[in-house]
This record gives sequence, structure tokens and C-alpha cells, in this order.
Amino acid sequence: MKDLMTRRDCLRIMGMSGFGIGTGLLIDKQLLAKDIGESGFQSSVIAPNKVRDNRSSAVLIDGKVIQPRRQLPVLTETDVLVVGGGPAGIAAAIAAKRAGAKVTIIERYGHFGGLWTGGLVLLILGHIAKGPKQVCQGIGEEMMRRLDKMNGAIIDRKPGSNPTVDAEAVKYLMVEMIEEADVQVFLHCWGVDAVVHQNSIRGAVLESKSGRQAIVAKVVIDATGDGDIFAAAGAQFEHRSHNIGLVSRIGNLDRVDKDKTSETQKPRRLGSPTPVPGVNWVNLTGPEVDGLDIATLTRMEMKHRKYIWNKMQKIRSTPGYDKVYLLETAPQIGVRVTRILNGLKTVKVDDIKNSTQYPDVIGVGGASYAEHGQWQIPYGALIPKNVDNVLAAGRCISCDLRMADLVRLIPNCFVTGQAAGVAAAVSARDRCRPRDADITKIQKILRQQEAYLG
Amino acid sequence: MQKSIADTFRLPVRLVCLIGAVLCLLPLPGKDALLVIVPALSPFVAVSSILAAKTIQPILALGLVIGLVAIFRHRFFCRWVCPLGLCLDAASRLAQRLRRKPCQTISIGRWLLALTLGGAILGCPLFLFSDPLALFTGLFLLSEKNHLLTGAVSFLLVTLLLICSLLWPHIWCRGLCPLGAFQDLLSKMSRTFRSIRKSAPDLPARTSSEYPVARRTVLGLIAGTASAGILRLTHRETSAPLRPPGAADEMTFRGLCTRCGNCIRACPHDIIRRDTTRHGLTSTLTPILNFDKDYCREDCISCTNVCPSGALMGVDLDKKPDIKIGMARVDMNLCLLGKDRECTACMRWCHYNAIRYVFKEAQYSLVPVIDPAKCNGCGACEVACPTTPQKAIRVLPATKSSS
Repeated sequence: MKDLMTRRDCLRIMGMSGFGIGTGLLIDKQLLAKDIGESGFQSSVIAPNKVRDNRSSAVLIDGKVIQPRRQLPVLTETDVLVVGGGPAGIAAAIAAKRAGAKVTIIERYGHFGGLWTGGLVLLILGHIAKGPKQVCQGIGEEMMRRLDKMNGAIIDRKPGSNPTVDAEAVKYLMVEMIEEADVQVFLHCWGVDAVVHQNSIRGAVLESKSGRQAIVAKVVIDATGDGDIFAAAGAQFEHRSHNIGLVSRIGNLDRVDKDKTSETQKPRRLGSPTPVPGVNWVNLTGPEVDGLDIATLTRMEMKHRKYIWNKMQKIRSTPGYDKVYLLETAPQIGVRVTRILNGLKTVKVDDIKNSTQYPDVIGVGGASYAEHGQWQIPYGALIPKNVDNVLAAGRCISCDLRMADLVRLIPNCFVTGQAAGVAAAVSARDRCRPRDADITKIQKILRQQEAYLG
Repeated sequence: MQKSIADTFRLPVRLVCLIGAVLCLLPLPGKDALLVIVPALSPFVAVSSILAAKTIQPILALGLVIGLVAIFRHRFFCRWVCPLGLCLDAASRLAQRLRRKPCQTISIGRWLLALTLGGAILGCPLFLFSDPLALFTGLFLLSEKNHLLTGAVSFLLVTLLLICSLLWPHIWCRGLCPLGAFQDLLSKMSRTFRSIRKSAPDLPARTSSEYPVARRTVLGLIAGTASAGILRLTHRETSAPLRPPGAADEMTFRGLCTRCGNCIRACPHDIIRRDTTRHGLTSTLTPILNFDKDYCREDCISCTNVCPSGALMGVDLDKKPDIKIGMARVDMNLCLLGKDRECTACMRWCHYNAIRYVFKEAQYSLVPVIDPAKCNGCGACEVACPTTPQKAIRVLPATKSSS
């Protein structure tokens, strides 16, 4: 019987399978112990044969795409919901929590910092004004001090100068501070809609890998930068265009051999130093376009990417600059201004000229290069005219055309964020609309939180 | 009898006039409007201004009235009003007590007058700054602590005149003062006119003696016109500095400006300086703008209100956007936008919306673009520009930037 296996073969097969099973059991035991396999990737089935209920999916009716009404799962209920984890959002969340509110923050990317980190806008502009006073204090200054203590996190931290940070250090610090403050966080959540009841917001709708969910809140702080939430709630806003750019970082600038090329042929636009040695960040202004138009954003991303790459090739072809390389382009495109709230009050350029004093001042702004004096930000600039329970923070607060470029600077986002956080906490606790909140109480808490109110 | 009454009252009246002039010119808050009165009293300035600018500023009425009186009352102004005259008279009298002989022979004033009026015909009164009231007013520039150095020049000039009066009594009033010479001319002309009308025999001796004077005056006028013409021809536009708003064209301005320093004192933001000789000899001590610390505010026309000679013509506040001081120019080698940096300072501070940032594909960056129709050269952008030590955006004289 030739096609029957021999005894030796049989033994060999049995032996090998025994070894195999034994090894398998051994690994399995290790898995149980350590949760992660050492010998390869591991995946488990969470639910087999799952079919999602598609009755709430959009349907095509007469050539129109219709989204049926549906109930959304409520992810959580909270006092203050902060939408957006940029400088304004982080300051708002921490300030609200410190003022005694239950706070939840959602952020569309996997990290905090918004354009500061994701957009690689590493330079802190606008925390100083003419005169000795640093106008951005409070949580913004607390962050700077903590960055001071971290190794290689910040440079140029001296009075009257504009410091530059390292994005990764800021991302880390923000996680640390949010955790210390014990704020509830949901990353990878895009705030897409408002939960509206009559003329007031009762929460926000978010879209994520977990699907469309809602967070119910007493007060919502719109720190999206684009005013996505107040706009969705029907608040009045001004739709503006502005320059859209893309920041990049370049490396090996410490390995440039400057003697190899003449002064006139040296590449000039190499950006400014960062805390990482040999690495510069390079700003880009870009054309004035509509930052709310997805086709435009796409076009800008692709156009800038090509420009940055080609520019780098030119730099590298300069004698002595061959080792310089493009480290990265910013993950987040540099949208400067899109929606601007029509608030109860408006920050105006004349406020600087006239040194306007607002009784409801909640913060003080500075100048990019200390070329002019300080200006006050009134509480009314955060409050929509026609919708309640939502406060704007960051670059989208109510301001005139010429002030938008000051309002959108990082320190001013800290200032308006912190103020919005405190105001939201006060109105949540006092069960009143933000516009009816006790301004003296808000100012008192802001001062306790070391904010500078002029 | 009449003469003695006049003599009795002359000194008190002159003292009152001197005190009045000093009070008008003292740096007291809220009375900048009075600054113009003293220097505007001069008919010499008024007539030169009308001749040169070919327009009549309302303020010149003061000088014209004085001129009218001078036609009928010879040297009325010198004898009764002139504050500088009183000061120099005092020095001269002191000198006479010390037995110094009064000066009789010098007649430079007549030439100054003729040359100035001649120049004025071509729009450039050459020696208008030698007007005694302008000199007297210039003294008070010393009250501005930021202008001590240039103010001292006026002070030194007057001191020099005082010393001269001590050495040669009455030298200024009789021999140097163009305003005095102008009054002489006016009364002589009226006498001549009257004598012609009344028929010659009434005043036979005088007419003959006046011919050389008339000849000299005509000669001076021609020489003045010729010099002004030469100045105009040789003047290079590139050497024009920035002038306060409402300034006449450059050569006319240089002539018409009496260097009284009123505009410098009236400027609430202290942006007007006295020119040294940087822009040529003829520009010495004239006002130029300096945008180091502040700019020419959109809500201010103080300097034009206190100019006695029409060198700065009256400006309506609502017309100020159209009054071109100069034109802003950007140096992209210095501009932060050219270095990919974030800055909107000049646009933010431009009151007239004259600056826009335009994305240029070739440079792949924003470039500030200035609308020449809207920019009036106020300098707000230059003040706001954060680049140091040199500003990336600067206001240049309009003539220069248009070339």
C-alpha cells in the first residue's frame, strides 16, 4: 500500500502537530498574561455578522438626497460643552472646570492645540503691547511657564519678545493640563450641528467613527474657529474670506555651508527658528479665498503642497544647502478667518486708537510686534445677538474687518477662551442665559484665575 | 499839541501791544488759534502771499488792513504796534545814551523788499522770512521742549539783531527791516499818486528825489523775479521733503514760509520738525514732517490754522482725505510679508483704506498694494510698521513717488 503513509511519516506528523499545539497553548497563555502578542498582530472579533440599521441612512427620493429624522444616542450630559480643542477651547475647558462646572471637550483631530500645533503656527504673536505689560496672562501664561520648565519646548521667552514653541511639547502639555483639570475628553469628534430648542442651544451633535451622537449641555462654547456650532444654531455671522496658507518645517539648517554660495544667491525665505535645533518653521500667507468652501480648501492644500515641495528643491540645489530638507507640511491647513460672529458688542479698530474701556471687559489684547497699545475685549463680543446658551471663543468672536487679524492670534484665543469658560460655568451654575450672567462675578473669577483685565 | 499827545501815549500803547503779542504767543493750553494773529499782522507777508500763491487766504485780511493804514499814516505800524521794533528801539536808545551814532546809511531793507516781491511774482518770495513779526514769533518756538535746538536759531537771530542795535542804533528799523521798507514804499506811492493828482507844483522837490528810489525798486523787482526763476529751474523735485498738509508747491512753500514755527507749535502730535539744510539751503528752518512717533491725524488741521502766510493753505477737515502730503511706498526687501511673516499693521492703521494685501503668484506671497487715489500720505502706516530700524513702508513726497 504505497499511498498509505509510513509509520515514520505518521509519527513525524503527530510529533510536529503536537509541538505546534503545545507552542500555540504557550503563546495563548502569554497572551492571557500580557494582553499583547509578541509574535505578531492580534485581532479579535467584537461582533460577528453585524449589520447596521440603515433605516436612518440618507435615501434618494426623486433625485434628491434625503436624510430621515432619527434619534441620536446621547454620548454624555454635561454643564459646559467645549467644541474645538485649540488654544481657545483648551483655555475654555480648563477655566470652566476650575470655575466649578462639569466640562466636556470634543476635538476633531487626535491631538489638542488646533492651528497652534496641527497648523504648525509655532510663533506666539500678540501677547505684548506697547509698554512693559504682558497682556495675555491667566491660562495662556500658565502654559508658557510650564513650557519653560519642559526641555526644548519654547525659545525666545523674554519680556517684549515673541516666543516660539515646539508643537509636540504643546500637544503633550495640553493633554497633561486637561487631565489635571479632569475634563472629559472626546478626540476624533467633529462637532457638526447644534441641538437647538427654540432660540437656544441645548448641546451639540458630533460625528465620529462611533457615528453621529449628541452631547447635551447647559452651555456650549464654540471654539471651532469657524463658528460651526453657532452658525448651525442660526446665530447671525459675517462670512469672510481671508488668506489660506500651509505652514511647513524644514530641517538641517545647522548643516548649511554658507561659504559655498554668494550673498545674493542665498535662499531668503527659510522661515524662523524653532526649539528643535536646525529646524525652522516657514509661514505661508496664500491667496485670499473662502475657507468654508471644500473645493477651495482642497485646491489650496494641493497648490501649496506643490509650491512647498518645489521651493525646497530650489533651496536644495543651492550650493551649500543640499542637506536642507522638508521635514513636514502642517497636517492642518492654515485657515485664518471664515465666520465672524455678529455679537452683542464688536471689537473695533477704534478701540485701540481711543483706548476704549468696556465695563464688561473680559480680557485684553495686544499687538503682534508691540507696535501699538492694548485694547479691551468686551464680554458682549462672545455672545450671539439672537441665539442663547452658546458663547464664541477664539478667532470667530465679534470683531470688525481690521481687528480679525489681532483677534485670531493665539494669545487672544487664550484670553477669549478662558473668559468664555468662566462665563459658561457661571451661567450654568446660576441657571441663567450667558447674556444675563453676572459680569462682576465673571470678572472676579477671571481675576482669581490670574487673567489680566486692564 | 497833537504831537505831544501822541508822544505821551506812544510808549504805553507800544508796551500794551508788546504784552498783547507776548500773550498771544505764549504756550497756554487751548489758545492755539491766537498764535496766528501776531505774524499775520504784516502787510509785507500778506502782499507777498497774494502775489506768490495767487489766492487770498482769509487770514491775510489782517495784514492788508495794516497795509491800508500804512498808506495814509506813514510807518504807523512801526511807531505804534511792532513788538520787535519796541525791543530793538529799547536797545538802540540804550546805545544812544552810550553815545553811539544812529545808523543812517544802510538801506538793505529796500532791496530785501524788492527782491522778495519780485520773487513773489514767480511764486517764490525770496526773503519773506526776514519779516520782523515772523522773527518775533519764531522766538516762542523755544517754549517747545522738543524743539529747543532749532528754536534756538530764531532766538540767536533776534539776539544778533539786539546786539547790532546796541552797536549801530536803529539799524534794523531804518536800514534792514523789509516791513519798514514796505511801509515806506506804500506811503511814498500814495504821496506820489496824490502829487500827480493834485498837479506837480505842490510837491516839487520830492518827485525828483524819488526817481532813483523807484529805479532801484524796479531793479530789485526784476532781480528778484530772475532769482526766483533760476531757483525754480534749478530745483530738483527729488530734494523735496514731506510738508505739512495744505502746503503750496515746493518752491512757493520755501518762499512763502516765514519760519515762524507756528505749525510746529500747533501740531498736537508733534510730527513737524524744522528742516536743517538737509533738503537744500532754501529749505532751511522750514517745517518738515517726521513720522517716527506719530502721524498726521485724519481729524486734525491745526497747523494749517496757524500759518500766517498761506504757505500752508487753509484745509477743511472733511477735505483732508484729498490733501496729498505724500505717497506711501513699500520696500519688499524689508516688509515682513515678503519674508513669509504674519503682519497686517499698515492695513489696520490706514484710515483711508488705501492698503490691500494682494497675493502675487510669482513671489507666492502677499504684497501690500497702495491705492494712489486713496493714500494721502498721512504716515499712519509708517508709524505702525513694525520693522526696525528702517520702516518697510514709508511716505515719500508725491512728486517723487509718481516718477
